[in-house]
Amino acid sequence: MLNRRQFLAASSAALANQLFGAPSTSKIPEAKLEALGVVALREGKKYRASYCDIRIVRLRSQSVSMRMTSERGTGRTLSVPNISEESSFGFGVRVIVNGAWGFASSPLVTPEEIARVTGEAVIIAKANAAIQPKPVQLAANKTYRDRWVTPHEKDPFDISAQEKIELLAAATSEVKKNVRILTGTAALTFRSDDKYFASSEGSSIQQYLLQTYGNVDATAVDAEKGISRTRNYVPTQASAGWEYVPQMNLAENAGVIREEVLEHLAAPPVRPGKKDLLLMPNHLMLTIHESVGHPTELDRSLGYEANYAGTSYLTPATIGKRIASDHVTIIGDRTSRRALATCGYDDDGVKTTRFTIIDKGIFKTFQTTRDQAHLINEKQSHGCSQADSWATVPFQRMPNVWLQAGSESTTLDDLIGGIDDGVLIDGRGSYSIDQQRYNFQFGGDAFWEIKGGKKRGMISRVSYQARTPDFWQACDGVAGQSYWRQYGTTGDAKGEPTQINAISHGCSPSRFRQINVLLTD
Amino acid sequence: MLTRAEALQLAEKTLKLSKLPECRVIIETSEQAYTRFANNGITTAALGLRFTATIEAAREGSTGSASTDDLDDASLEAAVRRAEEIASIAPPSAEWMPDPGAQEFPDTRDFDEKTASARSPEMIPHIKTVIDAARAKGLVAAGLVERTHRVTAIANKRGLRASHRGADSGVTATIRAADGSSSGWAGHPATRFSEIDSAKVAADAIEKCLRWKSPRRLDPGNYTVVLDATATGDLVRLMSNAFNARGADEGRTFLSKRGGGTRLGEKMFPEFITLRSDPFDPRLPSSPWTNELLPARPMAWIDKGVIANLSYSRYWASKTGKAATPAPGNTILEGSDTSQADLIASVKRGLLVTHFFYIRAVNPQTLQQTGLSRDGLFLIEDGKITDAVVNFRFNESPVRLLQNTRKVGRSIRIRGLEGGIMIAPPLVADDFPFTSISDAV
Repeated sequence: MLNRRQFLAASSAALANQLFGAPSTSKIPEAKLEALGVVALREGKKYRASYCDIRIVRLRSQSVSMRMTSERGTGRTLSVPNISEESSFGFGVRVIVNGAWGFASSPLVTPEEIARVTGEAVIIAKANAAIQPKPVQLAANKTYRDRWVTPHEKDPFDISAQEKIELLAAATSEVKKNVRILTGTAALTFRSDDKYFASSEGSSIQQYLLQTYGNVDATAVDAEKGISRTRNYVPTQASAGWEYVPQMNLAENAGVIREEVLEHLAAPPVRPGKKDLLLMPNHLMLTIHESVGHPTELDRSLGYEANYAGTSYLTPATIGKRIASDHVTIIGDRTSRRALATCGYDDDGVKTTRFTIIDKGIFKTFQTTRDQAHLINEKQSHGCSQADSWATVPFQRMPNVWLQAGSESTTLDDLIGGIDDGVLIDGRGSYSIDQQRYNFQFGGDAFWEIKGGKKRGMISRVSYQARTPDFWQACDGVAGQSYWRQYGTTGDAKGEPTQINAISHGCSPSRFRQINVLLTD
Repeated sequence: MLTRAEALQLAEKTLKLSKLPECRVIIETSEQAYTRFANNGITTAALGLRFTATIEAAREGSTGSASTDDLDDASLEAAVRRAEEIASIAPPSAEWMPDPGAQEFPDTRDFDEKTASARSPEMIPHIKTVIDAARAKGLVAAGLVERTHRVTAIANKRGLRASHRGADSGVTATIRAADGSSSGWAGHPATRFSEIDSAKVAADAIEKCLRWKSPRRLDPGNYTVVLDATATGDLVRLMSNAFNARGADEGRTFLSKRGGGTRLGEKMFPEFITLRSDPFDPRLPSSPWTNELLPARPMAWIDKGVIANLSYSRYWASKTGKAATPAPGNTILEGSDTSQADLIASVKRGLLVTHFFYIRAVNPQTLQQTGLSRDGLFLIEDGKITDAVVNFRFNESPVRLLQNTRKVGRSIRIRGLEGGIMIAPPLVADDFPFTSISDAV
């Protein structure tokens, strides 16, 4: 066990600043990080580990929010700001001993602790090997000595909190301009990962990953009817710096959602039944995530997530078969610009890439890590290994998964014009899908009726339910590249104990024929 | 891991670094050990230690929060300075309330030494028990054995000092047919690792898997249901946040009355429905303090069918002239002495549900949820289980579920697939709306 006195006396923040503090134009990792990495690799060798890697990670986040609400009794607008920052620094060591994985981690980044924790990982691997039907097999990988940084112009952690709160106050004030709005909230969140990876195969990789999120919402209540509604504006969550924040146009869109939440409050309920759907990118992204992203994870398909997230309706035998209409081409991609799962190297040290998951409706391949590729007779990993912290085990996580745009001549109006009786759905709502990713049900943030080829007024209480392969076969139109937008989801849960992942999904507005539309509460 | 005394000492030391009139320091440490298994083998195992120091500083209603897991004096001082710097920038919050002063916090007896220290040698025998039982029947096991040990200490400038340690553990197992044609699940969460009965977990999951053969496709529709205790807990636990007085007063929850006011005091449920929370319940002890640093205490939310209390934050209590009351720290739905076999025997035609999956709110106000049955859905005819049934999706609110409940069985501690914990009984309810078929196994 960790020596308590040693634990309490350590000086890790100063070390983290030394290791990760200074931005560098160098293409090789910081020498002190490499020296710490060598400690784990040397210990792993001493214990006869056939493979060893170490990740030294510093995570930082800053959340800034402003809520403006009508005071009980007076109706006066009250402001409730909040600013909080978190940081976390530590390391995790993986080893393969006797054909089994072992992992251990610690928040104390010292050579002595790295040596001790590597020994812990070896003990765990040896214990696991007793119940290990087949030895772990790693796909071949090139070795790299490199540095990679999320492309950005201004680091958001260098911008004053005051500037951020003022921006949010302006957006929230815009929401509260109508006295019928009970509450408006706006928030900005910034996350960074300083990450160092070294492996016994010779890789040494340092990365700096940045993410920037923002949102604004408006809530209104009709007490007589007993209805409460909230409308959200959530711009693309992005791997980007502060330069992205003005492009979010929070205040401008705050005015739009202010009016739309009031319209939604009075909107008539949907008439349920089979209808055509026109799904906007900020909605369809989540349908892609749940019904294409998750079922094409190889670990799920092979039963490794059976106890929690579930398995998949797709198996290796489905490769080469039609699972969607020929309008549907889906790409797995950890290189796309500003996408949340974009980085230089995954947590196996594999250089990130893009690969085709569905080609014109035909299922091509699964998402993989190094220890999975051989299970579908592939020679290389698709670079999908990820852990959400230094304290957690890397495993297969979703890359950015996006739907290719349709023909450039296909416009949003063309798609709407082809609908006689349908619903246009904008934004995220309720979402649920079964453990093999067949039956799903999605709500949305706002709904408009489409009648006779035209978008009409807002409607309410809409969900749709479908069976995944039927739904994607029912796709008969995808708008062109100029309509293509990418949106992120930042709380994707998988694994036990649960780990969180952030991913982007891009698409253009798309049309789906004769989907079961439900009337909800 | 730090001891309670060491954590408190660190909180005190950090507090002394603060220069603003208001400061709260929270020291949290946790150690987690777990082993996962799937396809009849171990897949991952880990031992991890985490530490967080959170500093919340305030001056005249302006607040700042900074947290770090760096423990040295310089790092802690830097975090204090950062929290104070943020507080000096932030505009004042209209809802800020000063921290309470010294409090007497009860001991909720949430700790067991052997649970807190269990490692691979204690965990692997449980996994072997499950895998061996599955293999003996030609089945495939996946699951998790885990334990956590947490120590928390709090100190503030108004003289409040508190520390708490807790430990918890659990085993879950999913047993599937080798060809993927059936699946069963069982779990056993326990505050004491020594109480975990992995042989029973394996037997229950195997029984569900073997029984769920050649399932029938029934039409979607409203069914009488018998919910296993885990299935009850999956839904009923989602009610606990709705007892928030502010949400009810503002017209945003099922406890809001049309035209204004709340449904406090109204009889909304059958006489035998009592929903409460109790930090001292040995089956599921919870924190001795609330998130507003007031002593936790037992509260009834629904008492014999009547809405008995709403939880008031200190701010909302000050705005409404009420006393602050704790929000639910845990949730307990009272049971009865009726066995689950008797519940099943009381049903002419209905469905027995093992548990639910991917439950999400459809309407946060009515608490309508959607989700799916999983790992064992069975037809009950004339009081007996007759057939396996293809899974369904539901759209229902736990409020309506409890209003339609006919009988409850014996309450036990449960842990749902998505992590929700409570003490819940199996129950029989009418008119449960299954709205579409799910082909998933």
